[in-house]
Amino acid sequence: MKKSIIALLLVYTMQAHSQTEDSSFLNRTEFKVGYFGNILWDNGLNLGTEYVWKEKEKLKEKRRGQKTITKQLLLNGSIGYSTNFTSQTDNGLTTYLGLIWRRTSPKRWQLNFELNPLGYYRAFLPETYEVKGNEVSKVRFPGRSYYAPSIAFGIGRAREEKRHSGWYLNLNLGLRTPYNAGILPVFSFQYGHRFNLKKK
Amino acid sequence: MKKIVIYKLKIVGIALLVLGIYSCSKEDINLSDLNETIFVRHKNADMPAYIYGNGSEKVFLIILHGGPGGHGLQYRSRSFRDEIEKNNAVVYFDQRGSGNSQGNYSEDEISIDIMAEDVLALAKVIKARYGKDSKLFLMGHSWGGTLGPAALIKDQGEFTAWIDVDGAHDPKGFYNKYKVVLKEMADTQIVLGNSIDYWQNVNDIVQNIGANYSTDDFFKLNRAALAGEEKLAEDNFIINGETDFEGNPQLNFITVKWNSNGMTNILGYKKGLWRDVSYTNRLSKITIPSLVLFGKHDIVVPAEYAQEAFDNLGSSDKEIFIFENSAHSPMSSEPDLFAIKVIEFINRLK
Repeated sequence: MKKSIIALLLVYTMQAHSQTEDSSFLNRTEFKVGYFGNILWDNGLNLGTEYVWKEKEKLKEKRRGQKTITKQLLLNGSIGYSTNFTSQTDNGLTTYLGLIWRRTSPKRWQLNFELNPLGYYRAFLPETYEVKGNEVSKVRFPGRSYYAPSIAFGIGRAREEKRHSGWYLNLNLGLRTPYNAGILPVFSFQYGHRFNLKKK
Repeated sequence: MKKIVIYKLKIVGIALLVLGIYSCSKEDINLSDLNETIFVRHKNADMPAYIYGNGSEKVFLIILHGGPGGHGLQYRSRSFRDEIEKNNAVVYFDQRGSGNSQGNYSEDEISIDIMAEDVLALAKVIKARYGKDSKLFLMGHSWGGTLGPAALIKDQGEFTAWIDVDGAHDPKGFYNKYKVVLKEMADTQIVLGNSIDYWQNVNDIVQNIGANYSTDDFFKLNRAALAGEEKLAEDNFIINGETDFEGNPQLNFITVKWNSNGMTNILGYKKGLWRDVSYTNRLSKITIPSLVLFGKHDIVVPAEYAQEAFDNLGSSDKEIFIFENSAHSPMSSEPDLFAIKVIEFINRLK
């Protein structure tokens, strides 16, 4: 299932890439870096990239002239590390892949909705000992892996024709599964800035 | 020139060899001031043990938290942190499915039996890490007083002694005992003029509870008991417990709460902890030295269980102490006296 979704996303990416007028990869790609965590217990850093897959501009006639509302569908990929600095029990690497729907108002305010069906969380544990019967052995590279899909919604603001092309603030709801005998919900904030390498 | 190069290569080789041996040797542990977190992996669960205090004599007090679904660090308040940890090391353990424990297992793998094996696995890990000559004292509070006997009945050879703190060795007896003790306490408080509306409401709850066990009714009684103890503290009937525990900044509240609800649901609702489980008749199998500590006004685990535990334990060396101004958590209500009793017991047996 996961492989099919990845393949589908790749195919769509290639199709979109070949069909667009402004088909330069760099012109349609932005990079982002930001805070990732829940402030109270877990804090970390996130790096990511967004690729404009579909874009639609809607012109509206207003009294003061024309206004443009932009709606975009973006491919989204991200990787981040977060930890609880006061304990050694909540260290982990998060990575996910999905889609962002984004609406940009004429004044460049943005609404974001993310759907990340492909997510992976790797928990890193401190010194761990495994007990099997009467045998105790030290575990090498202890940790656990979880399937970790997520959704996020939030706001942001774009900057025009700048390397630093905007900021975003999202609330992210993720799941980790299988976690103990079920799933674990994980809430986090994402605040960061987007950059581009567009040709001027 | 060639000789100099060979000489320098020899020096580098010896240095690397020494470094290699050093890096492979067992790491240094500062036993006199332990402050570390290790995980125990057992039957698909990874469970943290937070170890603090003075381990210079290799004496470890392992705490089994309440709940089910509590967490180890909730006990790291004044009594343990400032007093008991100075005497010996304290192991704050998050049980399977609780606190910051992780893992991947089915609900079938959440049972008292497997959780008791987890406790024995922890004991093995402590001895593997700190030495086989380590002395382990097992303490269970509340639900930990169910799990402790379950572990000790399986294998008490790993432990020097057992400390039962307001322990629930007879969960299935709670349903009927709650009805009695809650009514008694309600009548007492109403006569004293304390929180009259609350205690009248408790009497109403007790009157409307069915004769036969139901988990929903059990939780009505349990909630009334927990809230009742808060009223007792507010009205200065017991000493108001301390809340300066250190768990907060270290634990993700959402994770801990989520896990707690999960464990209560599985063990309480699905597996009939409070309907079917009792260790009263098996306490006689525990023959290691034992100490029973209870708050006189405990209504969460009714205080009459103190004498029942003491009477039924099979130990020839056993003590009981009742904290006159405490309810379910004497370590919070009377922290200094609690620490004195625990330290006296440990030091006599270590």
